[in-house]
Amino acid sequence: MTDKAIPPCQAACPIYTDVSGYVSAIAIGDIERAVRINREINPFPSVCGRICTRPCETACRRSQIDEPISIAALKRFAVDQSRGLKLIKRPKHYYDERVAVVGGGPAGLTAVHDLALLGYRVSVFEEEDVVGGMLTHGIPDYRLPKDVVKEEVDLILSLGVEVKTGLSLGRDLSIKGLLKDYQAVFLALGSQRSLLPKCNGIELSGVITAIEFLKQISRGHRPNLGEHVVIIGGGHTAVDAARTCLRLGSSEVTIIYRRTIEEMPAGRQEVEEAEKEGVNIRYLTQPVGFLGNGKVQKVRCIEMRLGELDESGRRRPIPVENSEFEVKADTVILAIGYIPKADALKDSGLILSKNGTIVVKDNAGTTNVRGVFAGGDVVSGPSSVIEAIAAGKRAADAIHRYLRNLPDKEVKEHLPLRLLDDNVVKLINKSNRQDMPTIPVEKRLDNFNEVEVGYDHNEALREAQRCLLCGLGAVVSDNCVACLNCVRICPYGVPVAGKKTAEIDISQCQACGICASECPASAIELRLETRKEALTALQKVMDKARQEAVEPLIIGYYCRYTLPTSLLDDTAIYWLGKLCTGRLDIFQLIYPFEFGADEVVVHMCKNEECHFRDGSRWLLTHIERAKKILDEIGIGADRLNIISEEDILISKREKVRG
Amino acid sequence: MIVAEIKPFEEIKDMLKDYKKVLIVGCGSCVTVCLSGGERQVELLASALRMARKIEGNEITVGERTILRQCDPEFIDQIKDEATQYEAILSMACGAGIQGIAKRFGSITALPAMNTRFIGVSDGQGKWVEVCVACGDCILYKTGGICPVARCAKSLINGPCGGSQGGLCEVSRDNPCVWEEIYSRLLKLNLLHFLKEISPARTRPVHPRKVVREDLRLKEEQTKGV
Repeated sequence: MTDKAIPPCQAACPIYTDVSGYVSAIAIGDIERAVRINREINPFPSVCGRICTRPCETACRRSQIDEPISIAALKRFAVDQSRGLKLIKRPKHYYDERVAVVGGGPAGLTAVHDLALLGYRVSVFEEEDVVGGMLTHGIPDYRLPKDVVKEEVDLILSLGVEVKTGLSLGRDLSIKGLLKDYQAVFLALGSQRSLLPKCNGIELSGVITAIEFLKQISRGHRPNLGEHVVIIGGGHTAVDAARTCLRLGSSEVTIIYRRTIEEMPAGRQEVEEAEKEGVNIRYLTQPVGFLGNGKVQKVRCIEMRLGELDESGRRRPIPVENSEFEVKADTVILAIGYIPKADALKDSGLILSKNGTIVVKDNAGTTNVRGVFAGGDVVSGPSSVIEAIAAGKRAADAIHRYLRNLPDKEVKEHLPLRLLDDNVVKLINKSNRQDMPTIPVEKRLDNFNEVEVGYDHNEALREAQRCLLCGLGAVVSDNCVACLNCVRICPYGVPVAGKKTAEIDISQCQACGICASECPASAIELRLETRKEALTALQKVMDKARQEAVEPLIIGYYCRYTLPTSLLDDTAIYWLGKLCTGRLDIFQLIYPFEFGADEVVVHMCKNEECHFRDGSRWLLTHIERAKKILDEIGIGADRLNIISEEDILISKREKVRG
Repeated sequence: MIVAEIKPFEEIKDMLKDYKKVLIVGCGSCVTVCLSGGERQVELLASALRMARKIEGNEITVGERTILRQCDPEFIDQIKDEATQYEAILSMACGAGIQGIAKRFGSITALPAMNTRFIGVSDGQGKWVEVCVACGDCILYKTGGICPVARCAKSLINGPCGGSQGGLCEVSRDNPCVWEEIYSRLLKLNLLHFLKEISPARTRPVHPRKVVREDLRLKEEQTKGV
């Protein structure tokens, strides 16, 4: 069972992104691979890198030690680094069938992307004048810049997709009509009708919905809302609306939410940023009426307390008697909830729930009308971007199967690796999460510039190197002779003597590589970097060095955890980075000499800095044994040396002096 | 298991000085377990030999293979085609393994890369000790599971020599007096009466010894049918 389990981050992602794959790629500076892994599965990595709700981070096992890996920020870093790099595939062949996708939000566009790559001719119908859905119209620029969305949308549309804007289902289009020209239809209409609180005065001017408000802003409008704005609701949209109001010049912006921060659907980090910027949040407060003469002037509120759990699993807010009070409001923005637009689906023949969402038969979004599939918020109600993307992917696959008469997709179980055992947790070094750099608050409020700046190269590598490399550890092959050396040397005590071979529980392995470097039968492979990959990398560097015919030819190994790559520039050494040099076996230390190296140097951290336990101790042992061999061969032990940071700086200066 | 060690590099190099094409064959059993003759060691020795010979201006081609056991002809046959391309085979098995190779490939020289040390057990990581000399006449039932033949410097079988001091052997102070250990163990097991039994003098076995299991062997008529 453990063999099939995947890292918890991956299991928690609705599209099962290979998180440890791309985070470990960033950890070794291979940004392009990180982007490829993302683009392979997700047409919106840049968007997700900014506004994903990050279920992966909630699942991250690093939080058993300190704080989860900042996964989304790393995704953003990788994709930002490669903007303009068009890593998108083309379909291998084309089918005759045409598919209509109604709704150009993340669910619809993901389906468009996957279907186009499968080879279908796809048309996307969008009610607004541009596609992008909530990404374009619902999320303000300071959190998700329009050009970021546009770049990813354009990549999708570049697959040869027909875009028809300004057309709305129910008004300009009907499902019946679409089925005449298209062999399958995917409905991804979103959930954009605002729910309204049952309050008097809702008809007053100055009471608006957050969706309409944010849509206006996205079109470049900058309305004057007055000094005092009250926002009702506790979701992302409420917080987005509030922070937008500050940027429009309102000085008193208050969010009114009927529960506490614990129950608030908006992200904790967003709420903190909003408060830093000056948004007031009144928890346990509910509006009971909007007061004013034609135009809203005040909101009458009542204090709440939390009672028993309700059907949503949250504690039900109950009004506190005689606690009413009033808040000044020049504008009230409603952001309490959303449902699909009813008129779009009426007379469609689709089964609808009482909330107006489309009822589907399975998780792929099959509806009661043959050939019609639905997904995203129009099915689930308001949810996250990554859930919408997942729905788009499932629908694209289901439509492909439907059109090609293929059997249903096998339901694959995505079991997460189990939690780390306490005795392993206590052996792992603590390391704090890198803070996301932001522009200072005083520079935010007169513009819509993106607040989060993103990691620089160093910050990203440091953060990625906090990853516990879950699932990338040691795997024992049939070649194991059960010598049990791994059982005896693992610094984390993970391997055990099994019935026939040593057994290594991949859920607990830290991927330090010490067991593999000491296995006499070469029966342990590290998923992080197989021995073959390690030797190929060495070969590559050797080839380069020989081509350049530098003398003396020096190969250097360094620990990526302790030495910044920048330090290695301008040295006369051909460097190979390792996630801990303890994983270098003796062969890798002497092999370069076989190919003409004059010297091998290894940068070693001070023992107390070692990322893994015992890494530097094993490195010393390996160097000692390799030196003995070099002496016996006649090459000389003095050609293999440990090098300090100071030595590297000296070699740098010497090179500069020429 | 059989515990063996790699010979000094100089000695191996000297053994190979007249050969240009050598196949190093590792053994995936006892010697891998005692970290001396498995795939990893084959790789290291091969690389070291290539480099050493290159420095001497006398390059050598070295092949690398590891088979599960060199003491069984069926496993040895797995490399028979490859072996014919070499002038010599450098065996990284115990003395039994290399003789298996020598017998199977009559026309190719078989050379030992290892010194076979003893039958032993693991005594912690990277450490092995001798515990059996394969005498063929086991008396462990009366010595508390501790063999005086293998573990007493003088192989005494009827009690200590009297030369031990502070529980340590007079021949090598690194070793405990095994008879003291036997006494303590028997005391604990309440079996001290065994010390009163005299074990008769032993004759040295005549080599080579053989084990023939008539009960397990194919009968002659069956062999014919095969």
